[in-house]
Amino acid sequence: MLDPRDEVFSIRDILDSQLLTSDGRRIGRVADIEAEVRADDSLVLLYLVAGPQALAGRVNTRLRDLFRFFLRDRFDHRIPLSEVTKFGPTLHLRGNAKDYAVGQSDRWIAEHILRWIPGGR
Amino acid sequence: MKKQWTSIALGVVTAIGGFLDAGTIATSGEAGAKFGLGLVWIVLVATVAIILLVEMVGRFTAVSKKTYAEAIREDFGFRFYLLPLASEVIAESILLAAELGGISIALSLFTGISWHILFPFVALFIWIIVWRASFNVIENGPALLGLVTLSFLAAIVALGGIPAHLLPTLWHPSFQHGTVADYLYLVAATLGATISPYMLYFYSSGAREEHWTGASLLLNRVTAIVGMSFGSMGSLALLVLAAIVLQPLNISASTLGELGIAMAKPFGIVGSLLFATVLFATCLGAALEVVLAVSYNIAQGFGWEWGENKKPAEAARFNLVMTIFLLIAVAIGLTGIDPLQLALLASTIISLFLPISLSPFLILMNDPQYLGKKTNRRFTNIAMVCILVLAFLVALVSLPLEIITGGG
Repeated sequence: MLDPRDEVFSIRDILDSQLLTSDGRRIGRVADIEAEVRADDSLVLLYLVAGPQALAGRVNTRLRDLFRFFLRDRFDHRIPLSEVTKFGPTLHLRGNAKDYAVGQSDRWIAEHILRWIPGGR
Repeated sequence: MKKQWTSIALGVVTAIGGFLDAGTIATSGEAGAKFGLGLVWIVLVATVAIILLVEMVGRFTAVSKKTYAEAIREDFGFRFYLLPLASEVIAESILLAAELGGISIALSLFTGISWHILFPFVALFIWIIVWRASFNVIENGPALLGLVTLSFLAAIVALGGIPAHLLPTLWHPSFQHGTVADYLYLVAATLGATISPYMLYFYSSGAREEHWTGASLLLNRVTAIVGMSFGSMGSLALLVLAAIVLQPLNISASTLGELGIAMAKPFGIVGSLLFATVLFATCLGAALEVVLAVSYNIAQGFGWEWGENKKPAEAARFNLVMTIFLLIAVAIGLTGIDPLQLALLASTIISLFLPISLSPFLILMNDPQYLGKKTNRRFTNIAMVCILVLAFLVALVSLPLEIITGGG
């Protein structure tokens, strides 16, 4: 069944792992995953999810609904699994930090809040 | 090799400065004033515990390249991580207010200006340092000044050493100046003040900031043992001093300012100024460490960019958290509650949550995936279980006592 060259990972290896971009920036952690059942009954992992709603869901599903009501999916983002080049406690991503919606709040805060504070840049 | 010894010396000095803070000064001073030498034992127990914990967290980070907060999130999941996170934020915001107050009181002893007026300026000063200074400045600046703590020892000598009538209080505390509830409450507070988890988060993040590797384990061990022992000596010296000077005068040391009398007795005005210097240096070091520890914890737990050697814009969320956290502490401090009372309250809350913050150690330190061959020995594990049981028992009694005694 399994090709011996394949590495086997459990969900635990992926959930809560650090997302690290190829330009060496830490953009966030995996809060949730999205998978799909294919016609041949295989379960395929498609996306890594990061954001407040997904995190709230980790605590309680009702809490996730509450967060969704207020945030309306605005801050949750998905990264296709194919973007991951190396697995482990740290997931290495193919692109640079600016290529991903995850972690854009870092840039937003720098551009809109910290620029008004002396010595911020 | 020479470089390594320089950094060991530096690490030891840092640990001396980092050990004492508003919490340990408050608990040691009050313990001595109320119960003579009756609480020396818990300071010693707590010192052994913090030596073990600091050594472990340093070894963990040096070998695995992971900080304590990162490992908790990755190994125990988000839900568990929220527990130590919440306890940290609640307890440390109160403690930070106490540290800022401690600096303000120290400055007010120098200048005569009310500490309430100085408080906001002190907070601003701390913010400017954490906003721009590099990690090395933060780590080593206040530490050198902290060596003035040794003047507590000089004061004991100047007063003729420990009087013979105090020695029996070592094993038979006198309850003339406080009740059994006060006593047990101080046991809890001392444990919380000495084994502050903020030190562990700070120390493990510092090990990453300074790029520790498996080769840093000697530095780590020496820092933990020598540094913490010396720091504890300062704490014990203050306790003894309070027992010699304050207890006969019936001063219960309910404010930080009152503790200064213990130094004024042997050295007069110079003594007061020395006490103010110690208060300033130790609270300054601790305030910086607390702000950073909480910000490190949050940024690492959520996987954000962090680091004191980066410009604020390069680690935006980390720096924003730092600023907001300081503002919360300022709001708490502006209530005008005496910093000593805040420090005692924070220390008790910390002791209440210690089992939560420390339990991950037992699992992480035995995981060869992180530590390879450097996992805990059996002795360390047994000691760790003892610490956890003690922390749990203390937590169990500290909550009702908090209510009975009304917070010291």
